[in-house]
Amino acid sequence: MFLGHTQETSTKTVTKEKPKTETAKPALEEVKKDSIKTDRYGLRVGVDLYKLTRGLYDKDYKGIEIVGDFRLTKKYFIAAELGFEDKTTDDDRLNSTATGTYIKGGFDYNLYQNWLDMENLITIGLRGGFSTFSQQLNSYKIYNANPYWGEQPPVAAGQKYTGLTAGWLEVAMGLKAKVFNNVFVGFGVQLKMLVANSKPSGFDNLYIPGFNRTYDGSFGVGFNYTVSYFIPLYKKKTIIPQIIETPKN
Amino acid sequence: MKKIISLLLVFTFGLSSCEKDDICDANTPTTPRLVISFYDINDPSKLRNVNNLMVIGQGKTEGIIFNKSVTDTTKYVTNASTVSVPLRTDTISTTYKFVYNSLSPNPAAINIDVLKIDYTHQNVYVSRACGFKTTFTLAPVNPFVRTDPDGDGNWMQEIFVKTRNIESENETHLEVYF
Repeated sequence: MFLGHTQETSTKTVTKEKPKTETAKPALEEVKKDSIKTDRYGLRVGVDLYKLTRGLYDKDYKGIEIVGDFRLTKKYFIAAELGFEDKTTDDDRLNSTATGTYIKGGFDYNLYQNWLDMENLITIGLRGGFSTFSQQLNSYKIYNANPYWGEQPPVAAGQKYTGLTAGWLEVAMGLKAKVFNNVFVGFGVQLKMLVANSKPSGFDNLYIPGFNRTYDGSFGVGFNYTVSYFIPLYKKKTIIPQIIETPKN
Repeated sequence: MKKIISLLLVFTFGLSSCEKDDICDANTPTTPRLVISFYDINDPSKLRNVNNLMVIGQGKTEGIIFNKSVTDTTKYVTNASTVSVPLRTDTISTTYKFVYNSLSPNPAAINIDVLKIDYTHQNVYVSRACGFKTTFTLAPVNPFVRTDPDGDGNWMQEIFVKTRNIESENETHLEVYF
């Protein structure tokens, strides 16, 4: 029995010495630290650089879009966009200008699994959009399949249709990357579906601010390139379930 | 992450490339022509085919092309019972010379009647691709004036207005009996 006891103690000392040489203890402490992560919650506001800079090179366009989102939970964000657009559309047979404001609201869901203190987002979201605008028909051409008397020059109209509204739904895909401190750069694509559209009598809504160009159906697309600033409001600690990590050395 | 960015870029440019798809479909009803149907004066219920009719606009030397598939002068003549003639969209009247038996070598057999059609017109929105079309309304009083420049009598003996509003080519607007 004595012999057995000495054997036991000797093995114990061996096991105690082994971790010391391999420095397993500090590694374990590190894992413990990481398992509690602080997520920052706050408001992110930004501007669409694409719309803002387009006015510099496209004389037919003036526009601005303010974007914002607020983090609700770990994955969900309330998101909204507010904008103004003044766009002249020059089609082959029609030239018209649409001017108006729009608001879009909805949510984003972050699909991206951040690790450590990263705060990047790859989001998919839904929005409801609403626009009030006016349209001016600048000029038009008469389509005549039998131009025996010659093609007529474009007719200057200058007719204005006011008080127009449109509503739509959109699926928004986007990504936002933190470039430094609280500054984010983002890129987003939206697929839109028109659900309500008050057309003027004797004309059509060829461009709806916020919805963009209308097609024959109710389909639309849009994209934005945003720079935004994150205003941290509070922090939440989340405990991540123990991750089994194999020591790298 | 980079994969997704490039995918989204390709997606956006793919969508922007298909924006110029605005071609006015030929089947879309656009500016209508005036449709004239010819009837037999002896049997008013029966359509009657014209004989080598040439229709020339006032101030024009070439007639309306009725047969696009041929290249000689027969492309200007029709032997049908219905002709469709374009009205001017920049004025409120259009004058045409209707040359009956136009290909006849005997000048006495050729009969020319001149028809001046008076109307109002309005421009109506069609679509983004087609733009606008012009529709016409025949004048309520004296919508047409028939004259006989060659003094051999009118071959168009009776003319009636069938449809005053010219909005489609699927209907007859003027009935001519001869």
